[in-house]
Amino acid sequence: MRKNVTAIALPLAFALSAPAAAAETLKIGAIATLSGAGTAWGMSIQGAAELAAEDVNSKGGLEVAGKKYTVEIVAYDDKYKAADALTAINRLIFDDRIKFVAGTVGSAPILAILPISTENRVITMTMGFTPKALSAEYKYSFRPVLPSDVFSDPQIKWVVDKLGGKRVGGLFPNDESGQQVGAANEKAYEAVGAKFVAKEFFERERVDFVPLLTRVLAQNIDIFELNGNAPQTAGLLVKQLRELGFKGPIIRTGGDATADIVKVAGKAATENVYVHQPIDLASPAIQQYQKRFEDKYKIPLNAFSPFFHANMHMLFEAMRKSGTVTDTDKVREAMLSLKDFDTVLGKVSWTGQEQWKSNQQLDAPFYVAVIKDGQPVVVAKCTPAKCQ
Amino acid sequence: MDYPTLLVQAAVNGLVIGTMYMMMAVGFTLVFGIMRVVNFAHGEFYMLGAFAAFFTYAQWELPFVVCLLIAAVTIGVLGALLERAIIQPFRSDELSGMIATLGLSVIIQNAAIVMWGPTPRSMPNVIDGVLTIGPFTFPLSRLLVIVAAALIFAAFWVFMQRTRTGRAMRAVAQDAETALIQGIRVNTIYPIAFGISVALAALAGVLMAPIFSVSPFVGLTPMLKAFVVVILGGLGSVPGAVVGGLLLGLIESFTATALGSLVADILQLLLVILILLVRPWGLLGQKEA
Amino acid sequence: MEASSASVVAKASESRGASGRKLLTRVAILATLAAALAAPQLTTNQFYLHIANLALLNAIFTMSLGLIAAVGQLSLGHAAFAAAGAYISALGALQLKIPPIFGIAIAGLAMGVVAAVLGTILLRLRGVYFVLVTFLAGQVCTLIALNWESVTRGANGLVGIPPISIFGYALSSRLQFYYFALAAFVAVFAFIWALMRSQYGRAFRSIAENMQLAESSGIDTSRYQVVAFALGSGIAGAGGAAMAHYIRYISPDTFTFHESIAYITMLVVGGRQALLGAVLGAAFLTPLPEALRGFVSVQHIIYGAILLGVLLFLPGGLYSIGKLFTALMTRSEKRK
Repeated sequence: MRKNVTAIALPLAFALSAPAAAAETLKIGAIATLSGAGTAWGMSIQGAAELAAEDVNSKGGLEVAGKKYTVEIVAYDDKYKAADALTAINRLIFDDRIKFVAGTVGSAPILAILPISTENRVITMTMGFTPKALSAEYKYSFRPVLPSDVFSDPQIKWVVDKLGGKRVGGLFPNDESGQQVGAANEKAYEAVGAKFVAKEFFERERVDFVPLLTRVLAQNIDIFELNGNAPQTAGLLVKQLRELGFKGPIIRTGGDATADIVKVAGKAATENVYVHQPIDLASPAIQQYQKRFEDKYKIPLNAFSPFFHANMHMLFEAMRKSGTVTDTDKVREAMLSLKDFDTVLGKVSWTGQEQWKSNQQLDAPFYVAVIKDGQPVVVAKCTPAKCQ
Repeated sequence: MDYPTLLVQAAVNGLVIGTMYMMMAVGFTLVFGIMRVVNFAHGEFYMLGAFAAFFTYAQWELPFVVCLLIAAVTIGVLGALLERAIIQPFRSDELSGMIATLGLSVIIQNAAIVMWGPTPRSMPNVIDGVLTIGPFTFPLSRLLVIVAAALIFAAFWVFMQRTRTGRAMRAVAQDAETALIQGIRVNTIYPIAFGISVALAALAGVLMAPIFSVSPFVGLTPMLKAFVVVILGGLGSVPGAVVGGLLLGLIESFTATALGSLVADILQLLLVILILLVRPWGLLGQKEA
Repeated sequence: MEASSASVVAKASESRGASGRKLLTRVAILATLAAALAAPQLTTNQFYLHIANLALLNAIFTMSLGLIAAVGQLSLGHAAFAAAGAYISALGALQLKIPPIFGIAIAGLAMGVVAAVLGTILLRLRGVYFVLVTFLAGQVCTLIALNWESVTRGANGLVGIPPISIFGYALSSRLQFYYFALAAFVAVFAFIWALMRSQYGRAFRSIAENMQLAESSGIDTSRYQVVAFALGSGIAGAGGAAMAHYIRYISPDTFTFHESIAYITMLVVGGRQALLGAVLGAAFLTPLPEALRGFVSVQHIIYGAILLGVLLFLPGGLYSIGKLFTALMTRSEKRK
């Protein structure tokens, strides 16, 4: 199994090549979706964690309070299911005795594990968009990626202003992520005078959308919104939409899925699809990261990965600053104190106090892009206030 | 979109899915009719067919017809071998046979995960483009499924009606003891029947691979549907499987289009349970003693 | 005279042997119980405790499945009763503040009643048809759990389910739950043991062997089948509820078709016998996933291979190995 071999081989390789001073192992957990429609997202987390581990291990290890640690990533597949995420976090906390976890991908899974991780003071870094993941009571919950609460409004305002359109249709997975992203998007559309006339919910693992899309198209929509559907699903939706003859604009106001959408639906179908673009693909740091990631994992880079890479490095720096790898309260404080920290994304800080009473959301610029010939082309730069 | 367009669109969608269900169900019911085996691994052969399509068509870029043949033959042979090894020992013990197929399905699915990974893969369409007749738009890739399935089924029908082996299979299905007395070698018929059954499932997998995607998990839903169709049409009845498959596809398409997928799924299952309780032998099946 | 005295001597030694065996059995049971009570104190390893808890719960599910199998019916929807019981107790605790200990009892009773009602309809079908209908019923259950969002919160599941508390003492650690699970296991075991020795057990066995013969000897086969089904499903419901208060979370993915397959696997591998067979199967197969933790798919392949292996080569399961062992022992005893 790919993930396990890497988890063993990596520290083994570095342990063997390390100098005589015995390095201890620091285990960091990852709960990622490694099967099913959300695999691209899961791999983006696991990859980021492993690349960050490589970064420090190749320099002789992570040095904290005079001791050197070899960082090892222990990854489990949660299949985007809360029950499996719960099993994973139990294993990580009680059996592997880990205090830092990259994950989860989904909103329902993170909400399921937060009671346990908070009780056991385990720091988590989630991709889940639900606003409930960040709150004053979940002290150890961080989110490195920007959720739709932040980017829906500016993106939708900008795109609708540009394209016009009053009737919107969309399909949503029937769980926390789908419901939250759906709500955020709906609000954003209403703010610019458009209306969601067709909203269909479906079971997350479904692949045949033709009856539902037929239903949606029957409402004579102007715009189809892909919202936060998993990469594979989003691709199938675009493909089946075009096959049904829908020629109108398709917008993706949700987490990055561009590579998979193009892979599944093909270049012709995805021409002129508007997408939320979390990273600037022209930046040299990102390009270097992209090459590293794609060389190692042989799959297209998902734009969420650099965010986790950045968060991991902030975590390492927090450990160095606080001088501990076990006292998560101190590490947490140290991490929050980092401002304008240099990462592959550029300089990042924390934000979110106003919105969620929890300053544990990573702050970074984002963009709107259009897919041309299979590649996203940035057309607007955005802040939470607006895009231009 | 107005009513007539919606209806026609839903009908064509239903036929596409219906032909896939039909192919799954015919194989499933064939095995039950002849061997009294409920093959819980049936869906996994669909999955193997999808992977065969992925490798032969998407990776090696062989002509599609060749891919269909390769899939049918390799998986059919695999099925025949599995029948001799795993199903045959349970001929007199239906329940154990069923449990054995459960074990088989778990093994096949997880072997696929280990060999090919859990990530879903997409396949290019066999035919791109759409057919537009007036206000109706039909993707050619889906129409191909209907045509191909019809041809495959026609071939199957000819086999069952006109060849010696086919007639022998029907004889065994009707009455195994009498067939034995007539000199039909039951021990050869069984593996052939099983092989044909899973080959049909594999062909369904090949046809649907470009439309949905290919992953080790794609087998569960088609198997579920095969169950539903076979109960609807009657366990052991091939005509029942055909009618049931097309009917279920249409019902599913219309209810999902009209009421949404969540409601449609539950209604389907409830309908089937109702049939099992009221008329367990289905629409066209034989009432059992 | 000689013959009768010889037979008297033989009978005497036989009864000595028999009572010796009984004593042996009783000692064995007490020893096992003592070990089970003391073992967790010897280790602080949370991992082993968790496995033990899961094994005990799985044994309860498998024994109750075995009860239904005792009338010759195979239920592919067993996990659905566990799921429903879990939701009832969890919702009772979360919405109505019903103490989990009562919630578990209520769940068990409710599932028993539901199974009794369903059973009168479903058990008309036998063999394959019954398996199929239980399979489909299980699917319907999962779908309802997914879609009845106002109650079950759908795919998101129910978070923060309170642990069982007895007289104000909360069983929130794995060790604490272990004793509860052990007690529950012993209770279920004793109950089924007594049931199988009673007139019910005899009726079950004759129905399983030959239903028509049983009918003609005057046994009300449908009544006994419903009883077995209701009791088995009720126990599963209570077990599901206990699980919910242990894991403290439940979703439609907690008990699915795959769990139903797992229980069948445990029963078959154990030896299709509702008591020791079920326990052996659960005890053997529960730790297996943990031993192969990083290799989930390989673990499943091994599961499937073990199932096939047992079906093909060891139809009596692990239980038959045990029987073989005791047969060998008694044979060597007789030789003395």
